[in-house]
Amino acid sequence: MNSAQIEIQLIASLVAIACAIPGTFLVLRKMAMISDAISHSILPGIVIGFFITQDLNSPLLILFAAFTGIITVILVEYIQKTGLVKEDTAIGLVFPALFSIGVILIAKNANDVHLDVDAVLLGELAFAPFDRLLISGVDVGPKALWIIGVILLITVTLLIAFFKELKVSTFDAGLAASLGFSPAIIHYGLMSVASVTTVGAFDAVGAILVVALMIAPAAAAYLLTTDLKKMLGLAITFGVMSAISGYWFAHWLDASIAGSITTMLGLLFLMVYLFAPSKGVIAVMYREKQQRIEVSLLTFLLHLKNHNELEERHVNHLREHINWQKVRAKTVLELALKNNMIVVDKNIVSLTEKGDTFTSKAIDYIITNEDTQIEDMKDDFFLFRG
Amino acid sequence: MSKIAVKVDDLTVAYNYKPVLWDIDLEIPEGVLMAIVGPNGAGKSTLIKSILGILKPIAGSVTIYGKPYNKQRQLVAYVPQKGSVDWDFPTTALDVVMMGTYGSLGWIKRPRQKEKKAALEALEKVGMLAFKGRQISQLSGGQQQRIFLARALVQNASIYFMDEPFQGVDATTEIAIINILKELRKAGKTVIVVHHDLQTVPEYFDWVTFLNVKKIATGPVKDIFNDDNLTKTYGINFKVSVQE
Ligand SMILES: Nc1ncnc2c1ncn2[C@@H]1O[C@H](COP(=O)(O)OP(=O)(O)OP(=O)(O)O)[C@@H](O)[C@H]1O
Ligand SMILES: [Mg+2]
Repeated sequence: MNSAQIEIQLIASLVAIACAIPGTFLVLRKMAMISDAISHSILPGIVIGFFITQDLNSPLLILFAAFTGIITVILVEYIQKTGLVKEDTAIGLVFPALFSIGVILIAKNANDVHLDVDAVLLGELAFAPFDRLLISGVDVGPKALWIIGVILLITVTLLIAFFKELKVSTFDAGLAASLGFSPAIIHYGLMSVASVTTVGAFDAVGAILVVALMIAPAAAAYLLTTDLKKMLGLAITFGVMSAISGYWFAHWLDASIAGSITTMLGLLFLMVYLFAPSKGVIAVMYREKQQRIEVSLLTFLLHLKNHNELEERHVNHLREHINWQKVRAKTVLELALKNNMIVVDKNIVSLTEKGDTFTSKAIDYIITNEDTQIEDMKDDFFLFRG
Repeated sequence: MSKIAVKVDDLTVAYNYKPVLWDIDLEIPEGVLMAIVGPNGAGKSTLIKSILGILKPIAGSVTIYGKPYNKQRQLVAYVPQKGSVDWDFPTTALDVVMMGTYGSLGWIKRPRQKEKKAALEALEKVGMLAFKGRQISQLSGGQQQRIFLARALVQNASIYFMDEPFQGVDATTEIAIINILKELRKAGKTVIVVHHDLQTVPEYFDWVTFLNVKKIATGPVKDIFNDDNLTKTYGINFKVSVQE
């Protein structure tokens, strides 16, 4: 690896972390779309900032752009408050308008400005190492690295300082308000961080990747944990993993880096969506199947418990009586046998002692919903897992 | 019954310029266990939210022990009517209860061992200790209700507002909750509860406020909980058999 390669990966990773942090809270607040809106509507801010400063490298551009980002949020909320449209519609109204203003402004002045729409959407990560920051003539590294590094530092500091406030106001705005943590202040604080991060990352990685890095890792992490801190940690890890693997994927294919990272994020989310242990599609399907079998098993055991007559407990009768298809009856019968809950003697099925206690306990649980009684049964049976 | 815990003067509250509370005057003495009763849409939740400064009234004022709410936050705990929380939020029962301690911590400071201990004790009190690690959406409605009660308990407030804490809970839980509320009163706290089951008012509460957009009456249950006030509040001719 040469130093440019290392620098690109470093920039991409820092961008990933800086995006994952506000992204986690945006996902939790069901505001994923707003990051899309911000990333597009900051364009006019950048252009207007450029007209005023006449300098594409001026840090003022970031301020202008962040300001437009916040205006976007305010506009969206204003439209939403009229009660005429829902939030996503309001977002859909605001950001194309602002983005097109930006595009028109560029088009009208494209001759003398180096700003093109492609670069805005996809960024120029490959060229980021060429734009160096010189401090009194000394090269201290790529400028993008410094910009995003500073933003990340601010974000992390704010996260550590206001973690509890962010948590409570996201979870329960009413409680936050009554405890004296103004949800509005926290909301606009978060939006400001999201805007500044978007703007800082924008030049290096483009609008699409910023949105993808904010939302995809957090959305994937959300499927994997019920702990906010772990969710943040996972989102950051996923972001960095995608950034680095995306870089090498692009290197290998000789393709756009931002495009490859976005692809990796998509793949990663898909994998998690399918394979997440409790909320993943496959796990849910498997669990439902298990639950169906267990309900059948319980019905079957209960029938045995309620009937002493031999003919009621004959294998063939059970098939007819409980009216299962043969395959399912077989699965259930085997499951009960395997767990030593029944014995079959000359085609007559009887409950064992274990089966008998199990049935009573299970019924008890279903009726009373008292958890303590079935702690020991939980491992064997999905049915009782929360 | 010496001090006044909560005082509401000429309070009018509107949503989109349509007033839902008209000119409410209310004094809640310290140390009562008070029911607020009234039909759906009477403005009971609105009244509580306005007292807590969550809603801005268009007229009138509220004081808690003589001072505005934002100076007295520490003194007040609130259990909202269901729905203001994000049930899918990645957080456990214990964590939710801990949030009750955030108010006394203030900005930036983080909860420590002491707060955790208080939260565990509150969970024990409401009989939910076994569920401390559960994600909150995986609890039943009544269990969630108990968690929110525990969260209010750790706030260690002087005045408790509870918006329909008995909604959707079974008889055992209801008795458990009312016993906790009675304990709070015994400890000198003021407890204000929005309540729908008129039959149990005389048994559970010692003070009552009738509300329907306007305040109909407020005072000791034994003096004012009668058919006359019930009829004024609910509009229909009301007959409940009130056993003393
Ligand atoms: N956010 C809101 N926007 C507009 N109107 C509202 C809003 N919340 C409540 N209202 C209206 O204000 C009135 C009072 O509502 P409130 O929730 O205070 O009633 P409540 O007495 O608590 O009723 P319930 O017994 O059903 O809980 C109702 O007519 C309701 O429709
Ligand atoms: Mg209500």
